[in-house]
Amino acid sequence: MATGMVDNWVNVDAFGPIYPFVGTEVLLTFLGLAFWIIWHIWQIKEESAEFAKDLEGINKKGGVGNILDSESKRETSDMTGG
Amino acid sequence: MTNELSSLVVIFTEFYYWVTVVFMFLIHVGFCMYEVGASRYKSHMHTLMKNTMLIPLVTITFFFFGWWIYFAFVNGPWIIGPLVSAPHATPWSELMGAHMGGLATQDALTVDDTAFWARINGVFWAAFLLFSWTAASIVSGSVIERIRPSAFWILAVLIGSVCWIIDAAWGWSWNGWMVQKLGYHDAYASGVIHAIAGGFALGVLVVLGPRIGKFRADGTPRDIHPHNPWLVTIGLFLIYTGFWGFYVACNIPIIDVYGGDMLDVADKSYFSATNIYLQPTTLSAITLNFLMSLSGGLMAAYIVSNGDAFWTYSGGLAGVIGASAGNDLYHPIQAMLIGAFVVVIIYKLHFWVERRFKIDDAVGAVAVHGYAGFLGVVIAGFMLWGYPSSPFEGYAPITPWGQFLGAIIMFFVLGFVPAWIMSKILNSMGMLRIPREIEMVGLDINLEDQREADARDLREAIRGET
Repeated sequence: MATGMVDNWVNVDAFGPIYPFVGTEVLLTFLGLAFWIIWHIWQIKEESAEFAKDLEGINKKGGVGNILDSESKRETSDMTGG
Repeated sequence: MTNELSSLVVIFTEFYYWVTVVFMFLIHVGFCMYEVGASRYKSHMHTLMKNTMLIPLVTITFFFFGWWIYFAFVNGPWIIGPLVSAPHATPWSELMGAHMGGLATQDALTVDDTAFWARINGVFWAAFLLFSWTAASIVSGSVIERIRPSAFWILAVLIGSVCWIIDAAWGWSWNGWMVQKLGYHDAYASGVIHAIAGGFALGVLVVLGPRIGKFRADGTPRDIHPHNPWLVTIGLFLIYTGFWGFYVACNIPIIDVYGGDMLDVADKSYFSATNIYLQPTTLSAITLNFLMSLSGGLMAAYIVSNGDAFWTYSGGLAGVIGASAGNDLYHPIQAMLIGAFVVVIIYKLHFWVERRFKIDDAVGAVAVHGYAGFLGVVIAGFMLWGYPSSPFEGYAPITPWGQFLGAIIMFFVLGFVPAWIMSKILNSMGMLRIPREIEMVGLDINLEDQREADARDLREAIRGET
């Protein structure tokens, strides 16, 4: 059993690809493209769910106004190290 | 790889590009620090992740199709010729993986080509890829605090793995159609990275709109100061540092300029570094000009901004960008004066555009990269008027009109227009901008709540111990 075309290093000057499973490159490309597209779809769904949760949290806290009241104090404190 | 000297040249070239990649990584570190410093406390984590995640997304897409575009699109395609075969750059090519160069398994490649690309493909790919990150990262800063990360990442792939690499094929390649027909010269990427990224950022900003609160009811802009000026300045210093790698990556380190059918002179050899157009240059020349244009930019920005740190640092960057198109050939004092001149113009232009068109460019990226890059390309047309654009016969010489057309193509055709179209599409699907309430309270609202809860929990635990 060997996954690659390398079974010794005697003829290294004649070697081509040395990664395992040579010949599966097209299949790997399709898998890679699918991984990329699925990642975007998953991320967009997660982001929408996160925003829905954020909006719910804002309402629970009494709306944007209430949250903003504490913001400038926190920002100033962070900038001045207070 | 059996001759010691020729092997040394190949392995030196391989190592040379590898080092540039490490240096250029610092550009991205700098951009991340800069953006987080410029954003407000309430959106820090999302700002950081927005920029960080463009790294894997642009990387894999540049592997899948960006690298192939660079070689395949040099004729447009169908502007001056068809698609060009690029078998070493397809994602299924054996030469995109670990390869010893011994067997030419693909018909279109010679034995010599196979041996060459087996060593150079990965590092050359990575050097171009880091340019892709930079292009996307330039856009990232301008849209902070209101773009949806998902939308930004789609736009990042568009500029990083499609638009900029098309412009590189056209105008930053020894045989690109813009070089052949327009005499386009942009040695250190004023246009091909900076003008396009600035134009792209502007295209997104026009559709995205300003941050809530940026403009008063009468239309005058408010200053939204950087949250952490120290992080911003260190970030910009790191971008300067990474810029060295960027400059060096724009060269080919060692090549016989009388070889490869370039100059038809028999029995002569002259080994030199060249720019991407295979024209001889030296690392000394570009080192002098990099530092002098940086200095010109810093000095002019300090004066014009009344010593504002944010704009002084950004002005240094804009000075380099403004001179970059011709920094392989300029005299150092020319580079300094061009850097200074460009900074005065882009500083004024930034605030004029902000007031006139209500464009909220949070980090001045459109000005520092876009306007400076555009001007840099145009100025090179006057400064280098009549110079050959290539060592090959039959190419157009450098001219002001060729450079002006080139700058338009970079900023508008491949930058602004695709960004505007994609942003319009995303906007029409409700995917471009974050919900208004979340923008007001900050993207990190949930993280903030969790942090407060954790702190409260810890406080109670400590009290319990006492």
